[in-house]
Amino acid sequence: MNTFMRWAGFLVVLFIAAPLVIVVPMSFSDARSLQFPPPGYWLGYYRAYFTDMSWLIPTWNSILIATATMILTMLLVVPATFALVRHRFRGKGFADLMMLMPLAVPHIVMAVGYYSYFGQLRLVPTPFGVILAHTCLSVPIAFLVLSANLKGFDRNLERAAQSLGANPARTFIHVTLPILRPGLIISALFAFVQSFDETVVAIFISGRGAETLPRKMFDSIRQEADPVIAVISTLLFAIVLVGIVAPYFISTLRSRAPKPSKPTGAH
Amino acid sequence: MGTSLSKLTEKPNIWPWLLLSPLGIYMLIFFVVPLADVAIMSFTEPRPTLANYTKVLTGALYQRVFLNTFLTAAFVTACCLLVGYPLAYLMAHSKPRTAMLILLLVTMSFWTSFLVRTYSWMVLLGNNGPLIAFLQMIGIESPPQLLFTRFSSTLAMIHILAPYMIMNIYSVMKKIDPALIRSAESLGAKGFSLFRHVYLPLTAPGIANGSVLVFVICLGFYVTPVLLGSPREQMIAGLIGHQIEEFLAFGLGSAMAMVLLAVTLVILTIYHRRFGLDKLWG
Repeated sequence: MNTFMRWAGFLVVLFIAAPLVIVVPMSFSDARSLQFPPPGYWLGYYRAYFTDMSWLIPTWNSILIATATMILTMLLVVPATFALVRHRFRGKGFADLMMLMPLAVPHIVMAVGYYSYFGQLRLVPTPFGVILAHTCLSVPIAFLVLSANLKGFDRNLERAAQSLGANPARTFIHVTLPILRPGLIISALFAFVQSFDETVVAIFISGRGAETLPRKMFDSIRQEADPVIAVISTLLFAIVLVGIVAPYFISTLRSRAPKPSKPTGAH
Repeated sequence: MGTSLSKLTEKPNIWPWLLLSPLGIYMLIFFVVPLADVAIMSFTEPRPTLANYTKVLTGALYQRVFLNTFLTAAFVTACCLLVGYPLAYLMAHSKPRTAMLILLLVTMSFWTSFLVRTYSWMVLLGNNGPLIAFLQMIGIESPPQLLFTRFSSTLAMIHILAPYMIMNIYSVMKKIDPALIRSAESLGAKGFSLFRHVYLPLTAPGIANGSVLVFVICLGFYVTPVLLGSPREQMIAGLIGHQIEEFLAFGLGSAMAMVLLAVTLVILTIYHRRFGLDKLWG
């Protein structure tokens, strides 16, 4: 069983790695259409990406929308998580379940709803519509990360601060927040990434007024498969690589056992 | 003492409600209302009847698309399991260094955007891509069209969703106590029977978790089937989008969306009864 599993595992590693790696040589290709291996190499499509407004504006829109989504999500989720983790009250089980609902509803269903509802509110196609929609979709993800952190919080630290004379506000600012900082940062990051990657709702409601990068990529792949997509894919891939490998190296440098966070769902 | 304590606990605590209300109101306006809008449109557009549901549930085209979606989701789930189980096993039982490298790869695949991975498969399976070139090299004169078929969209979905399965199974395998395996061995279990009667049941929760997640995501998958699949063999999400974008048929699109939502919620409710929904994404 062991040798079989090993060989099967090796094949699966290839299957998972190949599509990730292939975009890198493609981005340096000088072919006009999809061709692999590339007939020649140049940097032309990198220049095309960094000079073409029809790619830069969606990139900027996505960064802006994801940042706003992240802030709004955290403003709503942080107090709610404290309520749900630290208090017992009637209806808590129901509230816990409701927090997860946006993960349970397929994005295409929400896209239909937002297209019609935000259309009536004249929020299509505006960045506000996309931010409001993306915040709903980010709430459960941020909540899952933050509540896991808050559940592991040692409340004796707060009691100690209060017994030493700190009032609740001081305790919160000087004890609770600093201890929770890593959890807060990770959950904010998850909210940002969820919005930055979200495609389906953005396709339906971002329109010309607030075109996001995934929407632009989707349209481009559907119509002509502009080779610039390989450039963007490589850049996104590089960001992910740095984002995942960097913490690993930092933790090895600190000679601690690395603990990559278990990712949560995004459609 | 007893009375004062019960008084304390009976005093309604407004703090949780105060902390929850901003989010609650927000979700009511921007999540519940749009969802209710879909439900209402499915009955009222273009006229208030049940016609949309009759059409969606009995029309041959729609039945075929629903069946196709179901079979695809089941097939993708099975393949993810087939692909994911050995890899999770390899991660859980190799040297820490190998395990860490594979974990990095899987995590990286997970975090890479759906669109990027879909695009990669376009390159790999395209007419000028490496797979076709390989087929020609080994002597197949006119290789079949790979891109824009059911094959290409299914393969890409397996690749995209496999990390969900792998992560779930791995997290269970990692926690298996080696003493359990040793004691089974000392009682005479070995080879396949050790796997079948001891190891497999111990990993069942991870399999259930991963399968539900992959199946449910696949049911509602829009991007990859639309970009890589055959236009003649759509999945349900693609057809919903088509109805809305091309025909502005909100009623019909909403009715299909409600059926998709109902099926998804039934599966998740069954899961929730047995395991608790918070475990699914935890």
